[in-house]
Amino acid sequence: MYSETTKIKFTFGPDKILYTECSPNTTMTLEDGKESTRISGEMVNYEPRPLLCDLTNVVRMTQDCRKHFAGAEHSATFSKCALIVTSPVSKLIGNFFLGLNKPLKPTRLFNSKEEGLKWLSE
Amino acid sequence: MSRLNDLALSEFDNDKRLNDILEMIGRVAALDFSKTLPISEKNDMIDAIGLGLNMLSEELNTNVGERSKLDTVNSKLEKFAYTTAHDLRAPLNSITGLVTLLELTLNPAEDSEVNKYIMQLKKTTDQMKNLVHGILEYSKTDTASIEEQEIDLNEVIEEIIEIDQLLDSAVIKIESVLPAVVFNRAAMDQVIRNLLNNAIKYSDKKKCEIIIRTKEADKHFLICISDNGPGIAREYQEKIFELFNKVESESKVDSHGIGLATVKSVLESVGERIWVESTVNEGATFCFTLKKERQVKDVHTLSGLKK
Repeated sequence: MYSETTKIKFTFGPDKILYTECSPNTTMTLEDGKESTRISGEMVNYEPRPLLCDLTNVVRMTQDCRKHFAGAEHSATFSKCALIVTSPVSKLIGNFFLGLNKPLKPTRLFNSKEEGLKWLSE
Repeated sequence: MSRLNDLALSEFDNDKRLNDILEMIGRVAALDFSKTLPISEKNDMIDAIGLGLNMLSEELNTNVGERSKLDTVNSKLEKFAYTTAHDLRAPLNSITGLVTLLELTLNPAEDSEVNKYIMQLKKTTDQMKNLVHGILEYSKTDTASIEEQEIDLNEVIEEIIEIDQLLDSAVIKIESVLPAVVFNRAAMDQVIRNLLNNAIKYSDKKKCEIIIRTKEADKHFLICISDNGPGIAREYQEKIFELFNKVESESKVDSHGIGLATVKSVLESVGERIWVESTVNEGATFCFTLKKERQVKDVHTLSGLKK
């Protein structure tokens, strides 16, 4: 199953993991975050599933967007979340997200999709 | 040549970006969160640092705003507590008078139910009076810096021990000569009285033992009061200084959770600090600071100073 917005591409594969990837130089706002959660929820049929989110192309994520991704609605959509951070900026956003926003669902940062997938499959 | 020009331009550009970052750090240090660093599309380390600073500044701005709101609410709550306590004093005194009148009128036998209820009523009224008194004392701590005078801590402690008859319930050792300092006398009385009485109140030993020591740090004296009581678990070591917060102890001591909050408020209102060091079952040591600049060098100016 595939879906996309101007900023994010969503793929829900047979492995029951939702993959998201952002377009280059993406700024994520609260509206983008909410739209992403809505689309994800529909794709996983509102059953919490693992999420592999590639943050590499994200250059900014607003404070309220981070809060949204750390909150109850997002953790009701996803059982655990692997964030792929390969650029300095995405690493920073990931670390802020983990350290300051303290997401409710299990969340970890990874340098590669393979490592992230391995953890999600555990 | 063109490559050299590009490099020079890039260096100039990076210098400007680093200067912007330095300026931003200066502003954040001064709690000015209005500046946002421009982030280029290079997605390099300088962008990451700039973005990090922007995010930190935004978070700090939110936290400072929330803290300020919280301070306002706390201040209103404290005023409310003071007004309520103040207004409760008169009716409480009336209740005490009425209970005494009731007791005199009924003159109940010592082992009667009526006498039991009257005693219970008196005890409860006294507890309420203590609570009201505690809240009023806490509210007074703002004025600790007013009317400071030269006081000899040795004298303060000896007076409290004598007036409160503390030697009836504890062995109190003063291990070193305490300094003479400039401080508000009533406020220092509150601090020492609360700490000594707490050590006795919470003691779980047959004989409560208290040791008072002075230590010298760089710019401070540390006054430390140690006891041989049950100790305080690490998770409660900060909470005990919060208003209306008390630790449930096995001894179920009657406490309103005001005393230590008052002590902390008194000391912090004049720039001093207090903390507790403790291990469960090994007693507790309460230490507070007194700046050395408070010390009275010419001790002979103080009357009755004991060496």
